Amino acid sequence: MKEGKSSKSSSQQEQHEQIYHQNSHLGSFNFAKLFDSEASWDKDQLGDVLHWIRQVVGLLCGLLWGAIPLVGGIWLLLFLAISSGIVYGYYALVLKIDEEDFGGHAALLQDGLFASLSLFLLAWILVYSLSSF
Amino acid sequence: MATTIPLFASFKYADSLTVVGISFCTALVCEAISWILIYRTSSYKSLKYSIDKATKKLETMKTENPSSKLSIKKSKTKKIDRVETSLKESSRDLSLFKFKSGAVVALVLFVVFGLLNSLFEGKVVAKLPFHPITIVKKMSHRGLKGDDPTDCSMAFLYLLCSISIRTNLQKFLGFSPPRGAAGAGGLFPMPDPKTN
Repeated sequence: MKEGKSSKSSSQQEQHEQIYHQNSHLGSFNFAKLFDSEASWDKDQLGDVLHWIRQVVGLLCGLLWGAIPLVGGIWLLLFLAISSGIVYGYYALVLKIDEEDFGGHAALLQDGLFASLSLFLLAWILVYSLSSF
Repeated sequence: MATTIPLFASFKYADSLTVVGISFCTALVCEAISWILIYRTSSYKSLKYSIDKATKKLETMKTENPSSKLSIKKSKTKKIDRVETSLKESSRDLSLFKFKSGAVVALVLFVVFGLLNSLFEGKVVAKLPFHPITIVKKMSHRGLKGDDPTDCSMAFLYLLCSISIRTNLQKFLGFSPPRGAAGAGGLFPMPDPKTN
């Protein structure tokens, strides 16, 4: 089992290198891979995926919080819990990734965190300001 | 304010959209500058390639099954050291590249901040949906009169825009620094892209 996975990883690595040379950065990405728990990931690709998941969650939560509207610092903490939970659930349960191969939980969970928080606050403040006054 | 679009005039805090719009344009200008000064040059491209290559090689070597033979182990360690040294040198070169455009980008950001400051000094551009803690309040209440801590100044909004828009724009355009470079410690620490 271990050897099989290693062999597959090596094969995909080689294939990925080839694609890397032939296509642009965005073009080389295979969306089916997003839900394939058997796929192998390199650090950059996984980091990018987790980053964008965080941004989308941040934007959606910000728009939602602002539109309802939810008021109070507690909702900021709730957003952080939700977005971290989604990211963790994705890489641990959907992709079934061994986090030690990618620098541990901390590295994976902090990818895009600060930008996501800023985007969330920006969306929340804007929608709240424009719709509630 | 005579030129305000009638649709937005009905919003009490329409100024916030102006701040965001200007910040977005500024982010585009900064990335254009970075592209001209750094990313289109062949030396940067070869540098990035060597960093990516060294990083992947390093990961491969480190995750290989440990060998039982001592001599092979020593040889492997030596190879790893060589790749790591190469990675550090490339990272340092990349830092110098970044520093060059960083000065220009910083100047643009400074000028835009000054412009926005002159337009919105003392003006409440948005309302916070929470009470900011003291350290945040210093930024969010900067230059404002009055006692309401939920008043939001231009400076805080601009800061949020800078972090969220510029970071994501760099990511989207593929301009963010290679992960290997960010991870490796060089003689000069990698400048934080968010503050460029």
